Amino acid sequence: MTTKRILVVDDEPSVTRNLKLNLESSGGYEVLCENYATNTLSAARTFRPDLILLDVMMPDMDGDEVAAQLRADPLLCDTPIIFLTAIVSNKETDGREMISGAETFLAKPVDIGELKKTLEQHVRK
Amino acid sequence: MNASTQSNLPHPALTDDRTSRESRRLGFTRTVSTWPKPVVAGLLLGLVFAVGWVDYKTGVELSFSLFYLIPIAIGTWVGSRSIGNIIAFASVGVWFFANHFAGHAYGDRFILIWNILTLAISFLVVVALLASLREINEGLEQTVARRTKALQSENAQRRQAEEELRRALSDIQTAHAELQRTQFQLTESAKMESIGRLAAGIAHEIKNPLMTLSLGADYFLNRKTENPDEVQLVQDMKEAIHRASDIINVLLDYAHPRPLQRTSEDIHNVIENSLALVRHQLNKQRVTVVREFDTTVPPLSLDRTCIEQVFVNLFLNAMQAMPPGGTLTVRTFAPDLCGGDSDAPAGVMVEIDDTGHGIMPENVDKLFEPFFTTKSPGHGTGLGLATVRRIMEIHGGSVRLSSRKAGGTRATLQFNNEPRKEP
Repeated sequence: MTTKRILVVDDEPSVTRNLKLNLESSGGYEVLCENYATNTLSAARTFRPDLILLDVMMPDMDGDEVAAQLRADPLLCDTPIIFLTAIVSNKETDGREMISGAETFLAKPVDIGELKKTLEQHVRK
Repeated sequence: MNASTQSNLPHPALTDDRTSRESRRLGFTRTVSTWPKPVVAGLLLGLVFAVGWVDYKTGVELSFSLFYLIPIAIGTWVGSRSIGNIIAFASVGVWFFANHFAGHAYGDRFILIWNILTLAISFLVVVALLASLREINEGLEQTVARRTKALQSENAQRRQAEEELRRALSDIQTAHAELQRTQFQLTESAKMESIGRLAAGIAHEIKNPLMTLSLGADYFLNRKTENPDEVQLVQDMKEAIHRASDIINVLLDYAHPRPLQRTSEDIHNVIENSLALVRHQLNKQRVTVVREFDTTVPPLSLDRTCIEQVFVNLFLNAMQAMPPGGTLTVRTFAPDLCGGDSDAPAGVMVEIDDTGHGIMPENVDKLFEPFFTTKSPGHGTGLGLATVRRIMEIHGGSVRLSSRKAGGTRATLQFNNEPRKEP
């Protein structure tokens, strides 16, 4: 099984650190953490992720703006994006796409089993 | 109406009645006065000649002089002073000839002249008096007519003013009701905006740390520890994280309800699904469920998930209100459309009765306020009923809670379908 590269962008270092720990320990994932939204584009260009996990509310730039930048980049325009958001309930994420540019979104706190299932579904094959 | 606007004038109904009676009494006189004057004069002269003929026939012994006053008085009253004078002079002449032909002999010519003069003067005085009386009467009638007209005009103006006042009052009441509705909507809107901001802020600040805790717990769970205490510990941590997250979710759902996805549903299916969701808790608490369904009610256009949340919240509230167990009755029926208004929206009423402790009177007005709860700390967010009301309102329905006479609480839900369209 090939290792999938996941870029995790969230302003909370504890979140990115623990996502990396969980995903890498379960095997099959290589995770790069980024805590500044404004660095996402350069990090993604360098890392060339198979999927980007992107927080919606960040202090320096909102997730939908970052997604717009990624979609505008020819190298990254087809990289799947999954939003992580704290300000919607699980019910609101149920089968609906609220933010443009994303494959889907997950409500925090995310269960790691559910996250892995979603990653497998959307990660670039 | 304000007392200062009332008049001291007689009541219009009394005035009208009096005028009517006077009109009837003077009806004959008025009718005769409309006849042509020569006709009246001719008829009265005929009457004078008739009196003269009787005077002649009865002879000089029997005096008929005063009977001449009858045509004179009638002529003056219904005709005019001139007709009265003509009849008076004619009467004197007729009297003279009647006496003459009857063979009355006067010893002295002067006595005859004296009698003629006194008779003529007496008749003319009667004519003058009656003519004056008639003028006074006509003046009075004109005054009464003028004042009656003025009163009628004043009454009409007063009625018009009252009608305008009533319309103005009705307009003010409508505007006041509209203002109250707008004020309520503004207050609700401002409140929801504040709650929305608060919910987003709380969610962001709490869910990120919860995410860290959850990921940490997941990491330990995946290490496949053999120690069952450690596994239980981490599972308890996950459960605690879920509970905390659920509370935030309730707040978020209340502040930002998702758009409705309406489908046509049989309300009984929705009720049964909701009962299934809480069946375990109902059984555990020894709550008996009684169904009184009217299966003829029409299907409703509603968001099934949202309405299930409404029923689950109400069932859990009912269950928690009867800790030793009790009876939960769910009743459906068609609303009573008073007057058979065919344009009224067809709908369904649902009543949920419990046999618990009922509603404390001091809490009646606060039950649907967000964050109001009578439950002990840690057992309720105070958003359950607020969410129920919000969901019912966005469905165009309503919810009301009341204490039952037999004890316990009744929740009454009114569901409306879309109003019937014009053909």
